[in-house]
Amino acid sequence: MRTVWFRDSHSLRWPGSPRNSGQPAGHTISVEPGPLDLRPTDTAHFDTALRLTAIALLLRPMGPWFVSPVILAAGVLVLLFPRALRDRAVWSALALLVAIRIANDWPLADNHIYLLCYWVLAVALALRTPDPRSCLAGSSRLLIGLAFAFAVLWKVALSPDFIDGRFFRVTLLTDPRFGAATQLVGGLSKAELDANREAVVPLPHGAELTDPPEVREPPRLRAFATFSTWGIVALEALVAAMMLAPPGRTGPWRHIVLLAFCGITYAFAPVAGFGWLLVVMGLAQVEDRQVWISRLYVVTFLVVLFYDQLPWTELALDFFRGG
Amino acid sequence: MITPRTAPAFLLAVVAVVQIVLAGTADLTPWKGGGFGMFATLDHNAYRRLDVVMEGTERSEALEIPPSLETAAARAAAFPAGWMLRSLAEGVVQRERRYQRSVSRVTITVWRTDFDRTTLRASERPLRVFTYMAPPEPTLVR
Repeated sequence: MRTVWFRDSHSLRWPGSPRNSGQPAGHTISVEPGPLDLRPTDTAHFDTALRLTAIALLLRPMGPWFVSPVILAAGVLVLLFPRALRDRAVWSALALLVAIRIANDWPLADNHIYLLCYWVLAVALALRTPDPRSCLAGSSRLLIGLAFAFAVLWKVALSPDFIDGRFFRVTLLTDPRFGAATQLVGGLSKAELDANREAVVPLPHGAELTDPPEVREPPRLRAFATFSTWGIVALEALVAAMMLAPPGRTGPWRHIVLLAFCGITYAFAPVAGFGWLLVVMGLAQVEDRQVWISRLYVVTFLVVLFYDQLPWTELALDFFRGG
Repeated sequence: MITPRTAPAFLLAVVAVVQIVLAGTADLTPWKGGGFGMFATLDHNAYRRLDVVMEGTERSEALEIPPSLETAAARAAAFPAGWMLRSLAEGVVQRERRYQRSVSRVTITVWRTDFDRTTLRASERPLRVFTYMAPPEPTLVR
């Protein structure tokens, strides 16, 4: 049992903090120590971030049979019971389970599964500190900043086929998930896209065609590939810089840049799980007074959900080309 | 300094650096391994493939990867290290022997597709060639 001193009917005094001698004596009550004590105003964004993490876990079941049901069960418990939501044992177990999922078929797990593992570990560690909200916000900034910094490093310095534009020139043609966008934005017909796909199929080692087919890239398609190449690098570099800079110097801009990244990238990139995770991690950094930003994060979570579930590029292609 | 706030980020950085080293020295695909190299290069499993050739008594044939070996094959394509290729080869031998087919040697070739910078013309080159000599089949004693 411990004593909490009420200064007035709306605010809690943090146990151990100095009492203002000018204030009239307040009421005291005794409360059971919970798994986490938070100032009432701090809990809203923090709890929403944790709940959305649980929802993201439920939306994308992962791992082998001995991991998947336990992760799903933990997600349900976190959503249903406030004690589980703030129970560091539950989040520690989740971190362990996600790590097992990564190790089970290493190296096949996508990068956002690694980020998810670090994130749930960050939640578990934050819940062990006296100020979980601040600790988690700091962890979130570092995790997003470093993840984006490594992504930029790969694109700019370690991959010779990205900056010269080959990555998007080939991917826009060959990856079926980008097919509708390639036709819509790049201005290719379905027949031209199919012919281009044939033209970039590799021949067996040593073989050579006497009259090889040529890839046809209209100026709009080249511009789309070039814009995608430099746009993604610029946006990722901006997110990394904003997240790794001292938070006092970036203000709401780091949220705006991250939200813009999620709103643009996941319209095309078929990795909704990554988008949800970034949204959740951004939300954990929102300050109490930034109510609109927190709402924007929730809206973006839903937007990424709709991107994932609606074939919007195909629908737009049908609309603009008359079905 | 490692604190509850920095520990997850420290872990991320360590894993990412290890991934960069493995990608540079052991052909781990940049898309995998936690280094955040996805959507950065065409060097990923869509542009890598495996040839598996089995040899046994009076037989030599290419194997079309069966569903039971798909995960092992995908792991070997993403990270064609000796132990990963050996694991796939052992799976191939076990499967063949389950079906009472003779196999004494398995050769796995990992191919990577390159695209020409100007024309985008695709060509394949071998990343790794691995040969596994299967242990003698145990004799059934009745």
